[in-house]
Amino acid sequence: MASYLIIESRDLTEYTSGRYIQRVALQLKEDGHEVILFLIENGVIAARKGCEVGKGLSNLAGRGAKVMAEEVSCRARGIDALSDGVTRESLDHLADLIVEGSDKVMWY
Amino acid sequence: MADTSVKTKRIAIVLATGSYQREAPTTVLRLIEKLLQRGVDVNVWAFEEAVTLTNKDQIDHNEPGSLQKILGEKHPNIGRFIDQLIRAGLHGAKLDWVSCILCVQERGVEKHQMGGAIVGTLGDLWKFVKAADKVICIPTYR
Repeated sequence: MASYLIIESRDLTEYTSGRYIQRVALQLKEDGHEVILFLIENGVIAARKGCEVGKGLSNLAGRGAKVMAEEVSCRARGIDALSDGVTRESLDHLADLIVEGSDKVMWY
Repeated sequence: MADTSVKTKRIAIVLATGSYQREAPTTVLRLIEKLLQRGVDVNVWAFEEAVTLTNKDQIDHNEPGSLQKILGEKHPNIGRFIDQLIRAGLHGAKLDWVSCILCVQERGVEKHQMGGAIVGTLGDLWKFVKAADKVICIPTYR
């Protein structure tokens, strides 16, 4: 079992192909891997509470993956409330995950 | 259970996004600063438009007068941030920054690379990847 850190920087409502990332994350989770989906830059837009795309993120979190939205990216976009299951984390936390909390890092 | 107890010591970052294109270079530099603070050596392979990030002739342009109270008088260029991070490596974890030789020549910035940025080849990319504990490829998209 591996630990996957997937960093999602695209607006999922604009780049619909980015939604495949959620499917990849879900499949990895179902295959028994640890999965962290870290949203950054425009990737956090999908995590705004009430966003339709955010339902997929909540579903992913409900199935055991960790879904995080980067704090500065959220603040820059006026995003306060996040979809259920999505936590707000700092860039320091992302650095920790890269250095010590993951085996494989993918940036999309 | 994944063995994440082994600390990453060296990371290679592959970057293709240039100045004033997208948010990625700023995010990557913010992240590099955090990685250096954690004692991780970082090697950046910059290609395509990313070779313009280390153009030493970028200037800090004036912000519009009406916004200067909010944004400050000048808008700093991103090359200054890179220069600062490379210099930080003198006394801690280090940042090596290589700009692709074909890309700098195509864009006419070969003679304009800042001190600290090295013009290199795909061989350098291969050595960065081979030596890295982790490779992070920042995608370019339009």
